[in-house]
Amino acid sequence: MRVYEVFLKPDGKEEFRHAGSIEAATDELALVLARENYARRAEGTHMWLVNRENICVSEEGFIDSNLDKPHRHNDGERVARWRKLQRNKKNNE
Amino acid sequence: MNDSVLTPPVKEYLLAFADDEHLMGQQHTEWIGVAPFLEEDMAFASIGQDELGHALMLYTLILECPSGIDIYVFNRKSEEWRSCQLVESTHRRWEEALIRHWCYDMAEDLRWELFSDSSLPELISISERALKEETYHRRHAEALVENLLMVPDSKLRLMNALEVVVPQVLGLFSPIPGEEEAISCGVVSGKYSDLLPIWRTRLEERFGVLDSGLFIQADNENRTQRHSDFDYLFGRIREVFLLDPKAVW
Repeated sequence: MRVYEVFLKPDGKEEFRHAGSIEAATDELALVLARENYARRAEGTHMWLVNRENICVSEEGFIDSNLDKPHRHNDGERVARWRKLQRNKKNNE
Repeated sequence: MNDSVLTPPVKEYLLAFADDEHLMGQQHTEWIGVAPFLEEDMAFASIGQDELGHALMLYTLILECPSGIDIYVFNRKSEEWRSCQLVESTHRRWEEALIRHWCYDMAEDLRWELFSDSSLPELISISERALKEETYHRRHAEALVENLLMVPDSKLRLMNALEVVVPQVLGLFSPIPGEEEAISCGVVSGKYSDLLPIWRTRLEERFGVLDSGLFIQADNENRTQRHSDFDYLFGRIREVFLLDPKAVW
């Protein structure tokens, strides 16, 4: 048996999104079962099935070091605070 | 609505199809939660719901009163049904349920195609819609059967199931009350029983040549007598309805 990851794409400009997974013996069985299990209520107009064996998976910790880099984060708050300060200063002049 | 075409015999003829679809749908949905694996019980029940949808479209056409369908369907006497015994019988073995699904759906597209040029425009559009879904029903049945036939134990079960189910399929193709009237006024293009050889070819191309004894038509199948399992099935169908028959759903 193989495990397939199921992706559905709604109509229009929406992107493919992960919908779940399905276990099946062949590609055709996976397709017909995924159709009824994931798309029977018009959840999408396109469907991708990806055999899980064909997914490249990064090893444990591969991206952990990116979790602690606050200097890369910009939520715009500091810039907004600075601009507000400038605005107030100008108004008070 | 073309009232001159929808005469009582034509309605009875269409009722046979509606009842077959209704009961086949009911039988498939009975497998929710108990089919051999999770994905399949969802898929099988979903396909059953498609068949219920086809039945609803046909009942709506026949009754011309959508609000009265529940009352009509749930309160009918057993002798007023026109279903065939194939869809009335209970098959508790999964392999028999699967073979029935394969056999029924390999016969269903042939039946819908008889309406592709109907004198009733509503039937043409119902037929087109149903045929779109049937493509996937057949692919589902085929994919399962094809894989199971590769495993000796599974193959044996399927072949044994054919011996039970194939004789019942002949009843599906038996003459349908009102059929001659439906043909003469152009509602349907021909007799369903004429298509039995096409179905048999499909069957034997998939499973190999079968014992010819399986294809001997029973005399007593005329859609007016119910299978002994019908009462059980009808009880299941009415189980919730009877809790409060006057409820508006």
